[in-house]
Amino acid sequence: MEGLVEAIAERVVGLVIEAIDINALVSKVDMDALLTKVDIDAIVSRVDVDGLIDRVDVEKIIERVDVEKIIDRVDIEKIIQRVDIDALVEQTELGTIIAHSTSGVASEVLDVVRAQGVGLDDFVARWMDRILRRKSDDWPPGPVLLVSSVSEGDSLAVAAGAQP
Amino acid sequence: MTAPTITSAPVVGRQGNYAGAVTRLVAFAADIGVAWGIFTLTLASIDFAFQLVTGKQLNLGSRQVLTVAGLIIWEFIYFAYQWSLGGKTIGMALLGIRVVRTDGEAVGPRQAVIRTLTLPLSFLILGLGFIGILLNRDRHALHDRCAGTVVVYSWDARAARLRWLAKQDPTTPS
Repeated sequence: MEGLVEAIAERVVGLVIEAIDINALVSKVDMDALLTKVDIDAIVSRVDVDGLIDRVDVEKIIERVDVEKIIDRVDIEKIIQRVDIDALVEQTELGTIIAHSTSGVASEVLDVVRAQGVGLDDFVARWMDRILRRKSDDWPPGPVLLVSSVSEGDSLAVAAGAQP
Repeated sequence: MTAPTITSAPVVGRQGNYAGAVTRLVAFAADIGVAWGIFTLTLASIDFAFQLVTGKQLNLGSRQVLTVAGLIIWEFIYFAYQWSLGGKTIGMALLGIRVVRTDGEAVGPRQAVIRTLTLPLSFLILGLGFIGILLNRDRHALHDRCAGTVVVYSWDARAARLRWLAKQDPTTPS
């Protein structure tokens, strides 16, 4: 008897559901009001995030990412400008790598000799300015093509003598 | 009038700037030394090879006319070839300077040859050809004016600074 009632109830419910226009019903529901009543934090806290992550195939997701497109949208120049290269070289292993790869005793001596040469050039130029009572500060520093192409970074200070 | 002093203050990177008199003079002296050394070694090698093959002494050094003529030709080749190739000689490369056209473009073989041929002129007029390095705003000597060239610093001071920074102890506060 009980089984018969259950079967009838299931059949009735099925017919009712078929008869109802779910979309029309949902459109009448105030979702905002509904969501304010839902405790999202409580729901989230019940979610097994680790389990969820375990089920996600990260490799597959990465494969679908267009890295080239992302890089195109990144302004590398802007990022590099924000990097303090001096501090980077001074405080990281990068400095050691540069030192090992580019510097030997010979290049160190060359740096010192060249720095001394530039210092003496300036010394002589200043003397000539004084003797001839002229101001050479306003003179062009070099040929147009070379001076304008020298980047701002090249104006980094280089100490003369022992500190190139 | 207080005398200018040689400062140990930071010297800014000068790539592309007109090179000064001292650097140019030292580079030229180095070039003369290198050219002379190569020439002398070559003469000695020829003498040695000749003696080895024939058993007779050639002694090229004692033939003055031949030696001087050879030296002049060699000096011409030494400077003209190197300037036309990369705008710098061995001495200039050591001191971090190079020859370019007045607008900054690389020198061609024509400018290199004219500069080499007119270089002796700067000496022959009692060295007055070099006075322009001290007086002119683009620091060109007589041979520079004839060839339409200038000498600029090609030394990468920025790289030198990075090398210097790289050697500093990271734990030392700057």
